[in-house]
Amino acid sequence: MSAKILTVDDALYMRKMLCSILDGVGYQTCEAPDGEAGVAAYEAEKPDLVLMDITMPGLDGIGAPKAIIEKDPSAKVVICSALGQQQMVLEAVKAGACEYVVKPFEPEKVLEIVQRLLSAAA
Amino acid sequence: MQVEFIEPFVRATFTVLSQVVSASPERGQLTLRDGNTFTTQELSTLLGVSGDIEGVALYGMSQVTALKIASQMLDQDVKEIDELASSALSELANIITGNATTHLETAGFQCDITPPSLINGSGIQVTTLCPALLVPVSSQFGKIDINVALRKTRKAA
Ligand SMILES: [Mg+2]
Repeated sequence: MSAKILTVDDALYMRKMLCSILDGVGYQTCEAPDGEAGVAAYEAEKPDLVLMDITMPGLDGIGAPKAIIEKDPSAKVVICSALGQQQMVLEAVKAGACEYVVKPFEPEKVLEIVQRLLSAAA
Repeated sequence: MQVEFIEPFVRATFTVLSQVVSASPERGQLTLRDGNTFTTQELSTLLGVSGDIEGVALYGMSQVTALKIASQMLDQDVKEIDELASSALSELANIITGNATTHLETAGFQCDITPPSLINGSGIQVTTLCPALLVPVSSQFGKIDINVALRKTRKAA
């Protein structure tokens, strides 16, 4: 069975774009519009990997990975954010993120990271 | 408001527009808004900035420009600003502003941004913390006015 990837982003546009990129190469996809919903979707869907935005209303993409990794220390979270400050990248790494992609991104870049992390896990 | 604060936004707008919608932007004349109040164009996206500097970045455009940009982003003929089009335009503003904060860090200012908001309707009076600086950026999609009203916080002083 193909791997399942959860996309957490407050922008409907971005969720649709990421899901269609992933869907296009055969991954299963699910999505959530903010951090809280992302944590809940992680528990319900048990995805193999999470693509996580940072700037979101409510629980953001720094708090959500912490909450996810607290429950599942093996969770793989890739940040996908418009923010590129070194300080933010550092915070994301501290929160447990394993990769950081700055928007705008090339679809191939995201796919390369997803494939690499999933094959490392296999 | 210092001129140095708007440059990161103009730079970010150029890169993001060319990468996301393959635009070839051209920069217009920098002006300082007269006073703390201005009125919006037909459609605006805005984000709050906090941290070493605080205030707001507002991107104003005509309805025609908004529809053209949304059409390009969604790869379909967008005829109205529905939920998906509105989310695309908001995300464009988020990406521009996020990239601008990366440049601001290089200039020595740490800041964070809020999720974007969208105002669909012209003639709305906006009052900012300080007079906004305005740089119009034109492309094949029409003109986007970058309005940036930011001031240093005590933290940064
Ligand atoms: Mg966001």
